[in-house]
Amino acid sequence: MTMPPFLRAAAGPLKLMLQDRLAVIGLCVLGVIIAMALLAPMIATHDPRQINEIEDGSVLVRGTDTWELSESLGPLALNDADHRGNEALIVGREGTVWERDGDDWRRVQVPVAADLHAVAFGPQAGALIVGDSSTVLAQVGEGWRVIDPPRPADLRGVAWIDPDSALIVGAGEEIWRLDVASGDITEIDSPVGRGFALASVARDTDGTLLAVGARGLAVRYDPATGAATLDRLGSSRDLNHIHIAPGGAALVVGERGTLLRRDGPEARWQTDTAPDTRALRAGWIDDGGRAVAVGRNGIAMEWDGDAWQLATTESERHLRALLIEGDRWLALGSDRFVTRLAPPSAEHWFGTDHLGRDLYSQNVHGSRIALLVGFLGATLVVLIGTNVGLIAGYYRGRTEAVLMRTVDVMYGIPFEPFALILVLLFQPSLLIVILAVSLLTWRTVARLIRSQVLSLRERPFVKAARVAGASDLRIMYLHIFPNVMPLVFLELAIIVGVSIIAEATLSFLGLGPPHSISWGGILHDARLSGAWRTAWWWNLPPGIFIMVTVLSVFFVSRSLEVVANPRLRARQ
Amino acid sequence: MKTKALRFGAALATVLPLSAPVLAQERVPSVEIMTTTEAYDPIRYEGAFIVAEAWRELGLDVTVSPLEFRTLLDRFYSEQDFDAVILGWSGRVDRLDPQFFLGTLDGRQAGLGANNPGGYQNPEYDELYDAQSREFDIERRRDIVHEMQELYMPDVPVVILFHRDEVVAYNNTTFTNMNAMAGEGLYSEWVPMEAEPVGDRRTLRIGGPQEPDNVNPLASTSVWGWKWMRLYYDRLVRLSPDVEPVPWAAETVEAVDEVTIDVTLREGMLWHDGEPMTAEDVAFTFDYYMASEYSYFNSYLAPVASVEATGALSVRFNLSEPSAPFATIALSQIPILPKHIWEEIENPGDLTPDQIPTVGSGPFVFDRYDRGEFMSLTTNRDHFHEGEIAVDGVEFVIYADAEGVFTALQTGQIDMTAWRMEPGQIPLAEGNDDLTVVSVPDFGYFHMTFNTRRAPFDDVAARRALTYAMDRGRMVNVLLDGRGEVGTTVIAPVNAFWHNPFVERFDFDMDAARQELENAGYSWDAEGRLVR
Amino acid sequence: MSRRTYLIKRVFQAILSLWIIATILFFLFRMGLPDPTAALITEGLNPEQREAVRAQFGLDQPVWQQYFLFLSNAVQGEFGTSFSYRAPVAGIVWERLANTMILMLAAIVLAYGIGVPLGAWLSWRRGSRVDTAGIFVGLMFRSAPMFWTGMIAILIFGVTLSLMPTSGMRTLPYDAVGFWDKVLTLDFLWHAVLPVMIVALYYLGSPLLIMRNTMLEVYGEDFIEMARAKGLPERDILYKHAARNALLPVVTQLAVTIGLAAGGQVVVEVVFSWPGLGREILNAVRTSDFPLAQASFLIMAAFVITLNLFVDILYTTLDPRVSFR
Repeated sequence: MTMPPFLRAAAGPLKLMLQDRLAVIGLCVLGVIIAMALLAPMIATHDPRQINEIEDGSVLVRGTDTWELSESLGPLALNDADHRGNEALIVGREGTVWERDGDDWRRVQVPVAADLHAVAFGPQAGALIVGDSSTVLAQVGEGWRVIDPPRPADLRGVAWIDPDSALIVGAGEEIWRLDVASGDITEIDSPVGRGFALASVARDTDGTLLAVGARGLAVRYDPATGAATLDRLGSSRDLNHIHIAPGGAALVVGERGTLLRRDGPEARWQTDTAPDTRALRAGWIDDGGRAVAVGRNGIAMEWDGDAWQLATTESERHLRALLIEGDRWLALGSDRFVTRLAPPSAEHWFGTDHLGRDLYSQNVHGSRIALLVGFLGATLVVLIGTNVGLIAGYYRGRTEAVLMRTVDVMYGIPFEPFALILVLLFQPSLLIVILAVSLLTWRTVARLIRSQVLSLRERPFVKAARVAGASDLRIMYLHIFPNVMPLVFLELAIIVGVSIIAEATLSFLGLGPPHSISWGGILHDARLSGAWRTAWWWNLPPGIFIMVTVLSVFFVSRSLEVVANPRLRARQ
Repeated sequence: MKTKALRFGAALATVLPLSAPVLAQERVPSVEIMTTTEAYDPIRYEGAFIVAEAWRELGLDVTVSPLEFRTLLDRFYSEQDFDAVILGWSGRVDRLDPQFFLGTLDGRQAGLGANNPGGYQNPEYDELYDAQSREFDIERRRDIVHEMQELYMPDVPVVILFHRDEVVAYNNTTFTNMNAMAGEGLYSEWVPMEAEPVGDRRTLRIGGPQEPDNVNPLASTSVWGWKWMRLYYDRLVRLSPDVEPVPWAAETVEAVDEVTIDVTLREGMLWHDGEPMTAEDVAFTFDYYMASEYSYFNSYLAPVASVEATGALSVRFNLSEPSAPFATIALSQIPILPKHIWEEIENPGDLTPDQIPTVGSGPFVFDRYDRGEFMSLTTNRDHFHEGEIAVDGVEFVIYADAEGVFTALQTGQIDMTAWRMEPGQIPLAEGNDDLTVVSVPDFGYFHMTFNTRRAPFDDVAARRALTYAMDRGRMVNVLLDGRGEVGTTVIAPVNAFWHNPFVERFDFDMDAARQELENAGYSWDAEGRLVR
Repeated sequence: MSRRTYLIKRVFQAILSLWIIATILFFLFRMGLPDPTAALITEGLNPEQREAVRAQFGLDQPVWQQYFLFLSNAVQGEFGTSFSYRAPVAGIVWERLANTMILMLAAIVLAYGIGVPLGAWLSWRRGSRVDTAGIFVGLMFRSAPMFWTGMIAILIFGVTLSLMPTSGMRTLPYDAVGFWDKVLTLDFLWHAVLPVMIVALYYLGSPLLIMRNTMLEVYGEDFIEMARAKGLPERDILYKHAARNALLPVVTQLAVTIGLAAGGQVVVEVVFSWPGLGREILNAVRTSDFPLAQASFLIMAAFVITLNLFVDILYTTLDPRVSFR
């Protein structure tokens, strides 16, 4: 005797399985999926839970009926733009400055790396740029001069008062008057003084300057008196941008679709209804009744004389600035935006979901829960079922009666509803999900094993062992058990398939293990988000994975069935 | 940003007595954030993880526990067994009055099962709460309400995470003149009365995933029951789409003094069975509600001492104490029931569905209700408002979930959604020319409530720091796709009259959070864990 | 043991099982589920108001008292009033059960109607390409989760091609009054096509494979060899002799499947918005509607137990090898 009997028993089925072509295919596919589960962190291209975001220097051009995405200006977001005649400047994050060069844009080197928030051309010459870390840049000929700040501040807006001076506003309610030639900065007291952020400033037709900011704050600075006074525009929303046309029409935009419009220098501010409630970041208006506003998630709206109409844009990028020159309208952005519902690409092989998470990585990780629940659940089932079957079949009598009546009761419980209830009762967790799929299924195994044991225990070799004085345990596990092994393997395989489907079902109903990724869970998300009808890349792969895995298991179990049932073997 | 935080921190240090120098510092206890399951609400679920991640960065040991919704409510309200919970309050019209939301921080409502499970205690706040409830002058009441918001905000007993926009849609090829209402979306009591058919079908079809628990006006405890019933029962007052009270079954509502209100009924109103409606019916209804075991309206009825019919069409309400919200809330929410039908019913709570009377006096008449599938109403052509109503009836189709509703809307089976769409559905609806997407801000809110009885949330500084460390902007911008707004006080900004915009804000700022902790004597051990 | 005593014993055991299941459920729900009135808080009810509602539900009484009340009522077929619908549970459950059964039975009939003859035919052509393809297809639909195939079907036939309704049992406006009135219409049939197909495809694998495999077993039996030796046509051997003898396992499987049908396929009901018992029980448990959840589950269990009993009786009648133990 070279091998213990149970090993010999195990080798038999394997040899038989290898003769079945479908079983071999099944084994190979299973092998691949098991490898996928084991190596998931290595072969996944992304963190499956990572919300993928991109920052991009996006430029959108208003076409005939939609705002079209044009060539990107590098990987950094653009924050503001201004033009004078043919000259134009765009500023953005980390010291990004672009200058118009014919039909193209040319990167300008500036001696700072802070985020730049605003740019303004002087009435006749020069330009100013302001930004975080008290950055103030003045254009001198071809180059840029850094102006020393009086104290640290994050500067958000700039507007020229006259050809020699400008007003700068900041996020800490700073109002600075800059003498451009000397670089001297005078701090002006704000009428509020509570540190509310000012976001933008523009020069009004009467020579005063109007700054807007958080909580509907509006401050008017009169260069004649040198004092800043509080103004009321009729909103308590955070205001992000102000634009005043030469003739006095003005537009202020802000959070939550805030649109404050003034038709002329003497007209009252009126609050318009926006067709979208998301944040607006930049607005533009002229004296001829044209106006446009852009904001988060690629929203753009245009004034048609009576109401604001939502324009279609090609992208979900966040728009922060407008550059309007005649009929050429540009919208610029985009700080980090979520790459949601992207179709498969080189970056995301299976595309992304509604939160911009990589679906390929999710599917790869999803295999882990499926196999874990599948194999652990099935092992548990077979362990309980086999032992109950062995004991009941071997001991007979009262033990058998009690065990088999329990099995009978379990047969009266419908599987799927019970699993659902169990998870709902105990709160979803991996353990509960495994228990839910295995707590009932062992009933089949117990019955099958018992009936086999019933006939085995009367066989001569068992009787011989008993006569030889072997203990009950020894007889059960060393003599009888190897003979029911093929059946055990068969049941194991079938139940792996059942468990995988059961886990997928629970996850699909939102009852899977929390914050874990599974194939059923991916489908649950897809359905819940409502995007499954367009995002085929979202709902096809997980289903195919489940199907292929379970199918492979079935192929394997089919060949095991031949092993377990010699009568079938004879004819195949 | 940082300078502002520093200033608040400094201010706090002078206000709060700092604890005496501690010799041996102990680890700050770990905290558990309870939230809904992903299936119940993916936004709150993901939101919890955004918070947890930032808190861990502060050296706090954080676990996130998604719980089944009922279990979550049970743990939060009934047992008050929690550290921090993410939940929400829906913005029902009657909650536009600040009374209800302000009450959730009332120290006297901190008992088990009541509305202030976080256990915030501030006697000054409670005093103001009583004062505003008694104040009849609306400007003065507003000042008190503003003061209350300013008062509690620096203590952050609760963080208003965000207000989520209600994004709903209707089919513009079948109906027009659909005006959404704050807090109600399209399924308001006005839309069926205002909708104008464009196509051949003159019946407005609404689809939703929720259905009434029942349509018994003396048993229903779900807002979905009342949203349906208010279409066929009249109230004395209805709240207009601009949420102003407009006389409805009442011709006039007149406050004789602070505790006496006279109501004159409209002439010629009929019950759906042809009987005339009189002051007797109104008096009966209020008495009946007050005498019944049914408690849904109890808080509205609490100030009522007695109701008497003083004429065929006039009723007098005697209040036991002045109540500012009574006229707007109670009169606009309580349906008028026909006395001749209900006076014979002794235990109205025990009625089976086929026994429930459905006779009202409203602009629509109850037609049928097939549980789990369908409900319908026909237009009451004898109603005083009948001339304004263009539809012939209203139907409500019940679906298994929001997905079913959206599919039905897309395929033209229904005309409008009763419940908000999921973020993923909105772009699809926007891309469909037949559908008009409407977005209304909500004055309800999603909040994280701290258990102020437990460490570390018993410490104001910890609460302030942990609030700074909540990237609520990210929740709105990423999870809600920008359709919503970061919260400030319990009174939403959209409720502009009562909302105080000039309260302390806690914009996401990890440096400010650390500073706040340092100022209060917290520090970090060698492994970066928060100790005190 | 005589056959009669055996049967009586089995029936008694079935009732005992049902009682055990009912008891376990009763206590499991009350201990494991949150207070049914918890959700009323969000409607603005205060603790006293909630206490009043609890009293209305009879939850203020001691648990054992509730239990005996539940048992004595259940024996009389009375399951109390649903907490959320405020209506007698029995009516709701029967209506939902009917909806579920009509869907499931249609699918089962379809699956077995096609699966059994197809399985017999495949066994005849064993080893051929058709055989392999048949097994493959049968197993494939058995492996694909129904919620997924359902979603894909809705996507293709409902949304993209707009050929089929995507949810529910009928089209508006409803005017049918009774159950049969509702079901015996073309419109209902139209709504049932997709869900029935999806469930039927899933079920197809079992009768197909069981039939094929038992047929293969039967071919080895002596009487088939005898028939061959007699020179009977193969077709006759297949259908008259082999098939008849191979039916028992298929019928067993059929009975078990019907028994489980009451539990329905919750996911199919969810995906297709089908107002069935499976969806109802899920909601009932989620809202802590004890009476409704108990009654739904008991009905499902009763179905399973009855059909299992039927299988046992079938065996004692058809297969003389089974001894009455």
